[in-house]
Amino acid sequence: MSIDSIIEAGITSPNSLVSLLFIIIYAVMILVIMSAFAYLFGWIERKVIAKSQYRHGPTYLGKYGLLQNMADLIKLISKEKVTPANAEKLLFSAMPQLLVAMTIFAILIIPFTPNIAVTNIGIGLLALFVLIAFSPIVLFLAGFASGNKFADISAQRSVLMLIGYELPVMIVIASIVVAANSYNLHSIVLQQSKEYFALLMPLGLFVFFVAMLAELERSPFDLREADSELIAGWLTDVSPPYYALALFIDYTRMFMGSLLIAVLFFGGWLGPLMPPILWLLAKAFIISLIIIVIRVSVVRMRIDRILRFGWFWLIPLSLINLVITYVIVR
Amino acid sequence: MLTRINIGPVHPSTHGVLRLVVDLDGDTIVNVEPHVGFLHRGVEKLAENRMYMQIPVYMEKMDYVAPMSVNEAYVATVEEALGVEVKERAKYIRVILLELQRIASHLLWLGTMCNDIGQMFTAFMWTFRDRDMALRLLEEATGQRMFYVNMRLGGLVRDLPPDFAEQAATFLDYMERRLHEYESLLEKNPLFIERTKNVGTLSRSDAKALGVTGPVLRASGILYDIRKNKPYYAYEKLNFQAKMLGRGDNFSRYRVRMLEMYESIRLVREGLERLPEGDALGMPVRLIIPNAKNRIAAVSREMPRGEALMYMVADPQRPYRLAMRTPAFINLAALNFLAKGQRLADLFAILGSLDLVMADVDR
Repeated sequence: MSIDSIIEAGITSPNSLVSLLFIIIYAVMILVIMSAFAYLFGWIERKVIAKSQYRHGPTYLGKYGLLQNMADLIKLISKEKVTPANAEKLLFSAMPQLLVAMTIFAILIIPFTPNIAVTNIGIGLLALFVLIAFSPIVLFLAGFASGNKFADISAQRSVLMLIGYELPVMIVIASIVVAANSYNLHSIVLQQSKEYFALLMPLGLFVFFVAMLAELERSPFDLREADSELIAGWLTDVSPPYYALALFIDYTRMFMGSLLIAVLFFGGWLGPLMPPILWLLAKAFIISLIIIVIRVSVVRMRIDRILRFGWFWLIPLSLINLVITYVIVR
Repeated sequence: MLTRINIGPVHPSTHGVLRLVVDLDGDTIVNVEPHVGFLHRGVEKLAENRMYMQIPVYMEKMDYVAPMSVNEAYVATVEEALGVEVKERAKYIRVILLELQRIASHLLWLGTMCNDIGQMFTAFMWTFRDRDMALRLLEEATGQRMFYVNMRLGGLVRDLPPDFAEQAATFLDYMERRLHEYESLLEKNPLFIERTKNVGTLSRSDAKALGVTGPVLRASGILYDIRKNKPYYAYEKLNFQAKMLGRGDNFSRYRVRMLEMYESIRLVREGLERLPEGDALGMPVRLIIPNAKNRIAAVSREMPRGEALMYMVADPQRPYRLAMRTPAFINLAALNFLAKGQRLADLFAILGSLDLVMADVDR
């Protein structure tokens, strides 16, 4: 009996206390996987960026510099925590935690294996969309609450990007629902056993990928923390422990984004030989590598241009994609 | 409602210690006020208390990206004041070294410019690697990597090493390949074009009125290059073109500098080919003092950033007065004009395209 079926049995048990206990166990497992990914991803990102810039990246601590991020983490956490005098104290300190919780919640919904039942809810895709769409607002509040002018500008930008990018994401999600005939993420994955949605709707993949880059603040859409203009955007006035948390959020959201693309367009856990969870993680890993390579090679877009791109290119493309998908499927 | 934000003097992309007070209407710039002087060292006053050949050490710190060009401009001023003739071979070697210095300086500019429009240090690292090769070549020739102090009155501290021509040829071939690579990387990149084309446009008449010089002026469609207009050293004998483009935006400024690098490569190649035999060594430092005549000298030079003018009233022992017009200070004055009405993100693209060195601005 495999571990995921045990968890499934626990979660679906008639006793609600046992069910709750197993959900918490599952959430902790997800947290561990997420942290491991964030840690390794941080290391890989440093290495890939260094290699593309003729550098070595971290080499000193541990084998191949694997412990460098741990050292950085310890350094950041052991420093003093200061809240800026101008900050709205409660909002400022609560927002990152809220964002971590939201990310964990989003990853809980994503199906890692065919068996886990907590993920098998009818409105999975809608719940994910709400969680994704809400995070720029949380970032806006965090930037707004820090009382710094650079953070203020970055907060305004995050709202502008929300306007530019939520609509195409919503339309692409609609076309996925048309193709899979369900909001349930399990059915969406199973629907792809014949043909990945990436092949069915390449336009949709493009739009979703670009919108995800904007959502996750990766280049060329990293306007919220544009280092050459806004120093660090919404993180300009924060102390090191807060910054460490923000970095962790950055990487976990990256994990969430690449998992989402893998599930919606590349067939999630589907694949021969390897266990399902490994297939999903491998796909997410490759997608996040692509995101790093994009980060190394492009220059940042300007905010007015981003809006124009979102409205004049992404929305029409996603509508065309919706129509094409409808015609093919029906 | 206007927001006033203070950018700098400690900010990732102000190229040193520049402080900008920016008034913003949303994301649009209403006014930019540069505050300079954080790096003021009083070079002109310092020069009044030093012997002639002690001063180049101070001069080179004025433009730490292209120190050779400042050094050379100063030494040329002293030469004019004292009436010293430069040896024929030294004329060619100076041109070769100055052009290598120009390549190194423009490469640094290219990297920081890409950084300023939001690239993750990739182009920066690449151009620094190439710049390092140019610096290695200069080290071969002068013995120093950054502050060379290799000019003497009438010539140089030492001649070029015997295998310099081969090393330079290898470097120039490599550099030409790399420049093509940069061009194909940047000019076919829609994001780069979008961030540079039609951003910070400086018209012909405005460029003239603001007094900008160098690549910034030539990108606005005015062909003014001291190397052509008032040729010095071997520039009149060598075959090269001063490059000019008409649009006056960030992209033109980028293009002009790229074309200039190609021309510099051509100049170094031709200079090495036609390098005359003979002696290139300058006068020993101690011999120059008694010969000094009391007269006024003014020399203008095309530095990588634009025109530098050195004005000197000479005394027998030391300069009575030394005054400078440096390119970066005047080019910075165009910033407010260029940035008004642009987006905040473009402020740094424009600032980067002006190619400022704050040590040069503050002196």
